[in-house]
Amino acid sequence: MQLSVPLRVTDLVKTYRTPGKPPLEAVKGVSFEVASGECLGLLGPNGAGKSTTMKCITGFFQPTCGEVTILGHDVHRDPREARRGLGVCAQDDNLDTDFSVLDQMVQFGVYFGINRREGERRSLELLRRFGLLDKKDELVEELSGGMRRRLQVARSLINQPKVLVLDEPTTGLDPEARRVLWDILAEERRKGLAILLSTHYMEEAERLCDRVAIIHLGKIVTVGDPRALIEREMGSVPVREEIRPGFPIERLPNLEDVYLKLTGARLSTGVAFS
Amino acid sequence: MHNEVGQFVSLSYRAVYAVWLRYFAVFRKNWFYGLVTTFAEPILFLLSFGLGLGSLIGTLRVGGVSVGYRPFVLAGIVGQTVLIQGFFEASYGGFVRMYYQRIFQAIAVTPVTLSEVLWGETAWGASRATLAASAVLIIGVALGDFSVLGALLLVPACFVFSMIFAALGLLVAARSKTIESISYPQYLLVFPMFLFCGVFFPLSQLPVMVQKAAWLFPLTPVLSLVRTLVLGFPLEIQAPFLVIFWVALLVPLSRRFMIGRLLR
Repeated sequence: MQLSVPLRVTDLVKTYRTPGKPPLEAVKGVSFEVASGECLGLLGPNGAGKSTTMKCITGFFQPTCGEVTILGHDVHRDPREARRGLGVCAQDDNLDTDFSVLDQMVQFGVYFGINRREGERRSLELLRRFGLLDKKDELVEELSGGMRRRLQVARSLINQPKVLVLDEPTTGLDPEARRVLWDILAEERRKGLAILLSTHYMEEAERLCDRVAIIHLGKIVTVGDPRALIEREMGSVPVREEIRPGFPIERLPNLEDVYLKLTGARLSTGVAFS
Repeated sequence: MHNEVGQFVSLSYRAVYAVWLRYFAVFRKNWFYGLVTTFAEPILFLLSFGLGLGSLIGTLRVGGVSVGYRPFVLAGIVGQTVLIQGFFEASYGGFVRMYYQRIFQAIAVTPVTLSEVLWGETAWGASRATLAASAVLIIGVALGDFSVLGALLLVPACFVFSMIFAALGLLVAARSKTIESISYPQYLLVFPMFLFCGVFFPLSQLPVMVQKAAWLFPLTPVLSLVRTLVLGFPLEIQAPFLVIFWVALLVPLSRRFMIGRLLR
C-alpha cells in the first residue's frame, strides 16, 4: 500500500460571500502538511482564519480555491472516503444532548458504519481512558463543562482516526483535565496519529506541538519548531517586563512573545521587546 | 445527488438510514413522551370534533356523496395530523438541532454528508407524522368509517404528504433568526391551512374565491386525496399533481436553505 501524507493542505483560500456585503477573504492561501505522529499547532488571534481553515479541512466548508487531502483522498470530491480516517473536535460544544454519554459515542460510531457491538467496545475503552467511565449512563446535560469537552474529544476518536483535528480543545478545562487530555494525545501520537490543533494557550502549543504555524489575517506568517521560532524571532536576549507595578522581572523569551510580535499585537503595557 | 456546492456526490441510503436511526433511538428512549405527543392530539381532536360536533351535524352531502360528519372530520384529522406533526417536529425540532445542539454540524464531518443529514431529518419527520396519521387511520377503520383498502394505501401516501410539511418545517427553521420567529409562519401559514383547507368542513361551504385560494396551499390537495382514498370521494384530478409539485419544490428547497444557513 502506498503511504500517503495523512493531511495535506494546498493553497487553501476561503472567501465568504454574503449578498449585500463585501466579500470577506478569511483564508488567503494556506498550505501545510501534517505527518504521521506529528502534532501541528495553529496559533493566531480570533478571526485570523484558524477555524475557517479547520472547517475547510473537515469538509464542512467548501474552500474557494485549493485542495485538502486526508490520507490521499480529496475531502471535497470524496468526502466519504476522506472522512473515514478523520476525527474532529469542533470548537463549539456539539454533543448530542438527547443521548447518554455511552449511547452518544455508540451512535456516533453508527455514522462511520461501526456496528453497535463494536461501537460499545470502543466507547467503553475510550471512556475509561478519558476518566468518564463512571458517567457512562448519565445524560450529557449532567456533566460539568470539562467533562463535556473530554467527551467531545473521546467521541472524535471513535472511528480510530489517522488524522485528528482539534479546534481549541482545552478552552475551559481545568489543569488536571487538561493534563489528562495531553497525555491521551501523546499516547495517540505514539501510535501514529497526525494531529492538527488550534489553541490560544502558548504553553500548550510549546508542550504539544512539533511545529506551530502562526496565522494572521488569513495567512501563515511563520511555521516551525516552537523553540527554533523563539530563537529565530526573539534571539536569546532576556525579556524585561513589569508584571505588576513595582515587580519588574527578566525572563527568557517564549512563544507568546513570538506570537505577539508576528501578529502585530502587544499587551497594553509593560511588554518590552528587546 | 449534488453536494453543497454542486459537485456530484452520490447519496448513500445507508448514511441517511444511520441518521434516521439517531432520531428513532431518541424516540424509542423517550417512548412515553413520544407516544403522548404523537397520539394525544389526533385523539383529542377526534373526541371533540368527531363525537362532540359530529353528533350535532349528522350527515353531509359533498360532491354527490353522502357522508356522516364523523367520518368526514376523521379523514380531515388524518391530514391535520400529517401537517402538524410534520411541521412542528421539523421546524422547532430542526431549529433546536441546528442552532442549540449543533447536531447537523457534528454529523456532517463524519462520512455522512450534510445533504444526507438533512435527508435523514426530513425522512424522520415524515416517519413520525406517518405513525401518528396511521393511528387515526386505525381508529377510522375500527369505527367502520374508513375503507380498509383505502386506509392501507394511505399509509405510504401519508409518508409522501408528510414530506411536504416536514420540508416546510425545515425551511422555516432554516429561515428563522430566533426560535420565537417560527411563530410567524405557524400563525400565518400553518394555522390558516389547518382552518381553511377543509379539515373541519367541506371547502364548498366557502365563497368561491376562498375555495380557489385554498387550493394554493398544500394541505388542500392532501385532504382531497385522503378523502378520495378512505371515503370514496370523487378524485379531484389536480390533487395528485399538486402533491407531487409541493414535494418536488419544498424538499430540495428546504435542504438548500438549511445548507446555505449552515455554511454562511
